[in-house]
Amino acid sequence: MTQAAIVAQDLTALGFVALGAAIAYRWYRDPVPAQGMLALALITLGAVAALGRIPNPPGVLSVVNVALFILSGFFVLLFRNEFVPLGRKALMGAYALLAIGIAVGIADVLAFSDAPQAVTALIGVLVITPWAVFVGEPIVRFWLESNKLPAVQRTRMRFLSSGFGLLIAIVFVAVVGGSALRSPAAIVLTQLVALAAVPVIYVSFAPPSLLRRIWRMGEENEVRAAMQDLLIFTPSRQDLAERAAYWAVRLMGATAGFVSDADGKILATSGVDSVSAARLLSSPSGQAVVMAPLHLTEGQGRLGIVSGPFTPVFGTDEVAQLRAYANSVSAGLERTRVTERMAALEDNKTQFLNLASHELRGPMTVIRGYVSMLEAGLLGTLNEQGRKAAGVMAAKVSEMNELLEEMIETARLEEGEVTVRAVEADLREIARSAAGVVAPMLQANHQLVMDLPDRRVRVKVDPDRTKTIIANLLSNAIKYSPDGGTITCQVRSRAGTARVAVSDEGLGITRDSMPKLFTRFGRIITPETEHLKGTGLGLFLGRQLARLQGGDITVASEAGKGSIFTLQLPAVGPVPFPVSNGGADGPHDPPVGASPRKLAGTD
Amino acid sequence: MIEARGASLLWFPDQAGITGAGLPAGAVFPVRAKARQTPEAHVLMIEDDSSIAEMYRLQFEHDGYRVTVATTGELAVSTLSGSEPDLVLLDLLLPDRSGLEVLVTLNERFPNHPPVVILSNYGEPSMIDRGRALGAIEYLVKSRVTPADISEQIPGWIEQGRRRGRKES
Repeated sequence: MTQAAIVAQDLTALGFVALGAAIAYRWYRDPVPAQGMLALALITLGAVAALGRIPNPPGVLSVVNVALFILSGFFVLLFRNEFVPLGRKALMGAYALLAIGIAVGIADVLAFSDAPQAVTALIGVLVITPWAVFVGEPIVRFWLESNKLPAVQRTRMRFLSSGFGLLIAIVFVAVVGGSALRSPAAIVLTQLVALAAVPVIYVSFAPPSLLRRIWRMGEENEVRAAMQDLLIFTPSRQDLAERAAYWAVRLMGATAGFVSDADGKILATSGVDSVSAARLLSSPSGQAVVMAPLHLTEGQGRLGIVSGPFTPVFGTDEVAQLRAYANSVSAGLERTRVTERMAALEDNKTQFLNLASHELRGPMTVIRGYVSMLEAGLLGTLNEQGRKAAGVMAAKVSEMNELLEEMIETARLEEGEVTVRAVEADLREIARSAAGVVAPMLQANHQLVMDLPDRRVRVKVDPDRTKTIIANLLSNAIKYSPDGGTITCQVRSRAGTARVAVSDEGLGITRDSMPKLFTRFGRIITPETEHLKGTGLGLFLGRQLARLQGGDITVASEAGKGSIFTLQLPAVGPVPFPVSNGGADGPHDPPVGASPRKLAGTD
Repeated sequence: MIEARGASLLWFPDQAGITGAGLPAGAVFPVRAKARQTPEAHVLMIEDDSSIAEMYRLQFEHDGYRVTVATTGELAVSTLSGSEPDLVLLDLLLPDRSGLEVLVTLNERFPNHPPVVILSNYGEPSMIDRGRALGAIEYLVKSRVTPADISEQIPGWIEQGRRRGRKES
């Protein structure tokens, strides 16, 4: 058992020597000034443990050992002084205490080694009290300061506090307990407890990654939320930079944070104004500023945080995290730059479309007006060639006007300015008038079949817009049937949905082209269709207008065989009696948007 | 079966609630309503673009109307103080003030002013709503109608104005 006590004492001494060596090595590799004092404290503690194992030491060695022991505690106090400076008086007091401690220690070794048990214990307490004060004050301070820090940093500081706390307890028990603890079993026990302090202190300055991961687990969700916030939910670059600064401060437990662009301009700040942030960016030496690079297309930006005093020593994990986090911020900033540029382009396009189309309406009015007057013979009699030319001009001007109106409507749609004025109408009537519009396009080899039910198909829609949609579907069917064929316009109503199906026997659409079909300017150009005119706006507009009215357009097609475009619209429930079709002469005013003129049948 | 009729194949979103004026008359309504024309009706056109004003004047005079053109809002108001036209055609973009402001002035100073039809190249629904709220009986987008389309609707508008006048008095 005595043997076991000796082994335990040797092991503990070895443990502290190793601890001192480990921190000495770390300090040598990465000489952080503040860490120096902790290194000195642990190295001297290791030396004390080693010297203590020398059997029957000469008096000088004992004196050195006592002095080193008290110094090891004093170094812990100096370590604390690096983060939270002590006042002048406190420091003077500490030096006095150090002197007293060493003096008492030397006296103890030289004069009282043979004194009675009680005296030895009392003097022992007098020696260890300064040490306990030097160590105890910092560990309490560390524990309190750690409360507001992020998990890993907090845990590291608490481990340091716990390790030294354990040492204080052991030293007091050993000195006060005196002979009561001289039994081998008691020695083994106290030595093992002292040995336990070694790993506890070790992980506080060099925590293995596994431990760090475990400590961080509680914050993992928060980090994930931050990443999502940055990478998915942030629409604008400015917004993203602001959130990045905010999250950096929160995740790192910093007091302030900022994001700067490649040109050094402060993009966003959190907890600090942008002037101070710019100063921190240009001369970060004054405060504990930690910066991570942001790799942007134009160069390197910076994500900086103003960290707490403990960050350089205990926050190494957070600093590493900050770098990883900065990479996400870089990616986010790059993404928003691209999306913002695209949005600006899109906006320009809409504005251009709007301006161009409105400006074009003026000249269009005059040209269209005069051409129609020429054609009508109002400006004098034309010869046969002139009449022909006037007819061609009228058709072309109408075509141009059609494109113009499409462009204006598209621009309006994109500005969200389109309002649909739904009234009750008969879908058959609307289909007929749409057919009337496209009638002039039909060639000799085309046949347009109107397949309409006998009963009214009641829908609540914007009649003019719906006519526009159907006329466009019909016009497409004609346009993309260059070799002629039958074009069918079928109107049906079933189960609350009214349908207009426009089918043709024309070119059809290949599977690859389908996704482009309903996009803006998404005209499908193939050798068969490249000579055909169009803006590629028709179907885009049609679908948008249908959807605005609670409907949709769907398509089924086979290349070379033809296509069926189906317009669906919400139907109104059936009425028992057909409603009179009185139009404008009826007893009440016609609803806005409805054409009060009775539409003549076109077949 | 549909047979091709007329030369116009225009279709357009006619959300202005235009009473048929925007329709390609040639294609769908081949019969023109010239028979109902009021003899020697007087049309006041408030329009600053001389090429448009001249074109309309040509058509209207051909159809037998007397036309006065006012190129500014100010001139329009002074014309109305001196004479009593049967119809006012109002452009919205005038050099001195907007057409809607002119309409407000008319409503204030001439409570029994003749019917007003707005002819503009702004087709925004909000503009149309404002024009109608101020009492315009019609709002047409110029590029969508031919001079003949307008001319043939003049008797109907005058009639509409008369009926409204009777209702009010």
